[in-house]
Amino acid sequence: MIELLQAFTLLTTTPLIAVALLGLIWGILGGALPGISPSISMALLLPFTYTLDPMLAIVLLATAYIGAEYGGSIPAILIRTPGTNAAAATVLDGYEMRRRGRAGEALGISLWSGVVGGLVGLAMLILLTEPLSRLALAFRPMSYFALGLLGLSVIASLSGKSLLKGAAAAILGLMVATVGTDPNSGVGRFTFGSPELLDGIAPIFVMVGLFAVSELMTRSGVAVSAMGKQEPFRVRLPSFGLMKRLKRAQFIGALIGTFEGLMPGAGGSIASFLSYNEAKRWSKRKEEFGEGSPEGIAAPETSNNTVASTALIPLLSFGIPGSNSAAILLGGLLIHGLLPGPRLFEENGDIIIGLYTGSFVAVMSLLVVGILVLPVCIWLVNRPRPYLSGFIFALVLSGIYTVHATLFDVGIVLVAGLAGYLMRFFGFPFLPAVLGVVLGELIESNYRRSLDLSGGEHAIFLEDPIAVGLMSVAVLFVVGSLLREGREAMRARKGVSP
Amino acid sequence: MAVAALYYAATVRIPVSTLGGEVGPHVFPTVLALLLGIAGVSMALRALFARRPIAVKASDEPASEATPLRAFGLLGIGALYIPFALLFGYVPALFLLIASIALYEGATPSWRMAVIAVAGALLFWLLFVALLGVGQPQSILL
Repeated sequence: MIELLQAFTLLTTTPLIAVALLGLIWGILGGALPGISPSISMALLLPFTYTLDPMLAIVLLATAYIGAEYGGSIPAILIRTPGTNAAAATVLDGYEMRRRGRAGEALGISLWSGVVGGLVGLAMLILLTEPLSRLALAFRPMSYFALGLLGLSVIASLSGKSLLKGAAAAILGLMVATVGTDPNSGVGRFTFGSPELLDGIAPIFVMVGLFAVSELMTRSGVAVSAMGKQEPFRVRLPSFGLMKRLKRAQFIGALIGTFEGLMPGAGGSIASFLSYNEAKRWSKRKEEFGEGSPEGIAAPETSNNTVASTALIPLLSFGIPGSNSAAILLGGLLIHGLLPGPRLFEENGDIIIGLYTGSFVAVMSLLVVGILVLPVCIWLVNRPRPYLSGFIFALVLSGIYTVHATLFDVGIVLVAGLAGYLMRFFGFPFLPAVLGVVLGELIESNYRRSLDLSGGEHAIFLEDPIAVGLMSVAVLFVVGSLLREGREAMRARKGVSP
Repeated sequence: MAVAALYYAATVRIPVSTLGGEVGPHVFPTVLALLLGIAGVSMALRALFARRPIAVKASDEPASEATPLRAFGLLGIGALYIPFALLFGYVPALFLLIASIALYEGATPSWRMAVIAVAGALLFWLLFVALLGVGQPQSILL
């Protein structure tokens, strides 16, 4: 009760609402621009926080994070370009809905799911910080390795009609993830003497190339009449009936998002893919996934917006930044002399309450900001296609340049686009490759750390109960998918036999 | 299989490090090369022994609607952005990129098209450089 009164006082006596809105809008803008990751959006704000009151500074950064995680879905749905890594899974059904003239509906679903995910994440942050932070500490390198394998097992259901091609695509993705300085030994791998490759190939380059550039190539010269329906520039929030239908997918997304947010290094990308996969598994309309399923948007969007709040749990409890964005927030805390940990809650309770209140204002404002901003975005993507293609290309290349300020990255994106075009031509699915790039470092580094701990004994993976549990689930996923593929092949064979 | 072989050849060149721990930096890439090789061989055998032709489309990705030449042409225009940005700087290169893609995609050459391309280049400059304050390529001639 006292906390609620404190929150009310903050809302009425400080510019908290204005700062939260500013952070949210800035974050949405950054998230919507490919290449400007949530962490870059926040880092760009960092200099402005020096002169701000500590509480307002933290609110500004945290709400920018919330906005950026949501903003990534806008280009994912409208131009098949995930604005953030975590929005990659949204591309699949979001863009398909847009192609079918349902962009307003798709954006409405992602907006609504963003609000649901944000509220669930915030509730977890406020109510369950202590028990959840203990769970986060229970994770050891073996558990992270198993978590990576679990994430990778999703390829079994993201592989379309050929598990083999999906596996090959995932291995290609894992290969891309090995480029750069080896995190364990510091040795350069596959850099071919190029200093630009020492940092590795960022997943966003691969995603933007595979999805956006290959899409532009694929549609080049196609008559406008064949490009799908034009539609009113209105965002359609889900009806009551649709909200009921989305509940299951959102529950799955929120659950996985809560769990993944706690794990330093896991992040929203794995959460989104796992949520998409599980939403498909438990859906009554599995066949709609990949064809413009509302649940295919709701699950990953709820998930990555939940992560935006739950990722703060290990940060605030132990000072462990689980992602680049959390590291920027940690920087913001340290700039103002605030040390994360249990004492932060005791000695700077007003800042914590301000953070919760500001985040709540931001999540609730998402609806209003979205309804105002999204029609403009829909109008933009309905401009004549020759100009639209030019503008999308310009946006992609400008956004990518901002990551490391080098044209070398632009070249990587174009090569990834060519690879995407060839993969599409030969019928290889994209998502397993993206998953491989995202998970490669997590899997390899934790596998090696585990073996360093055990002196090379693989039995260490069986001694960790969390690892055993996660690996068992991964095996179940793969076996289930293999059985399904075998069954479908048998059915198809019977179908063509005389 | 070709990618697996090339990747394996590059894996052999990874230097050995005493900091590598129990599993050196070359082990994971070697396993990946082997796995991709196995996947490649499996796909080849599957295609060879299939009783009926296997459909090429095994992906959920929509098949290409453009001819490969046309698609590569668009990529070529995108690739030209790199030397143009180095030579002329961000805004002129972006103007050329937007204008040339618009023309390539069927826009009629006109003053209107040129104005849209200039406005687009300036808009992106305003967004990235003026508002967000992030750098963009600068001309080596200036």
